[in-house]
Amino acid sequence: MAGAKKAALSPAVRKLAALPILIVLATKRDDGSVQLNPVWFELEDGFFWVNSNTSRTWPKNLQRDREVTMLMVDPKTPDRYAQIRGRLISLIPDPKHEFIDRLAHRYTGQKFRELAPDEHRVTFKIQPVTVTGVLI
Amino acid sequence: MAVPLSKKMQDFTQEVFPAIIGTNRKDGSVEIVPVWFEQKDGSFWINGGTNRGWFKHLQRDPRITLLLIDPKEMFRWAQVEGRMVNWAEDPGGEHINQLSHRYLKKDYQGPRTGRITIQIEPLRVTGAIDGWR
Repeated sequence: MAGAKKAALSPAVRKLAALPILIVLATKRDDGSVQLNPVWFELEDGFFWVNSNTSRTWPKNLQRDREVTMLMVDPKTPDRYAQIRGRLISLIPDPKHEFIDRLAHRYTGQKFRELAPDEHRVTFKIQPVTVTGVLI
Repeated sequence: MAVPLSKKMQDFTQEVFPAIIGTNRKDGSVEIVPVWFEQKDGSFWINGGTNRGWFKHLQRDPRITLLLIDPKEMFRWAQVEGRMVNWAEDPGGEHINQLSHRYLKKDYQGPRTGRITIQIEPLRVTGAIDGWR
């Protein structure tokens, strides 16, 4: 998918992404098995943005293999969903944890918790490439 | 080797929400879709048509990851790494009908032919239900 074009997102997909739901992120472990994690995200400028501390497994997976699949499920009707195949296009350190504070605000209405002394946050910018599912 | 499910996981898997399954496509990418499931005797059982992408993927690579997540309270979740250990035809659609009763409390309205039942053995469980691991 290198150099693939950015997918246009339908109004239904954008509406779902505006809700404070978690997005399920699928990454690949180094043995090729699938890892699934529900994570905070936002859709902004047509890109999906997520954030993590650097010690978790999924960010490591994502840096090794930049192809990622994401799933958003309609909380009211769980058989309505959008599957988005995407690609990590940049990795942005979040040393002042501005981005994670912003995400925390979207989900909790508050700033993010105090970081642990050795905790480093990083933001991932993901370009959507294809969208399939029952909500396209 | 299959792992036994904790009491908390056994209770959680009786709740009614779809499982989100991740399988490996031939090109190395991952497909994720929600499916109906049930947990019985420590295994996870799902149902589908033989033309489903995920079933084709599983025949090539039996590894499958399930994310169980309460859609109303998404911080309640568990990730189950598993493996398809068996699949069988579902003649007459008895299993899909049983799942339909679990999810919709009524008979299955879709096609009952050409369906298969898949048995998934859990190999590792992580996530918020059992505590982070």
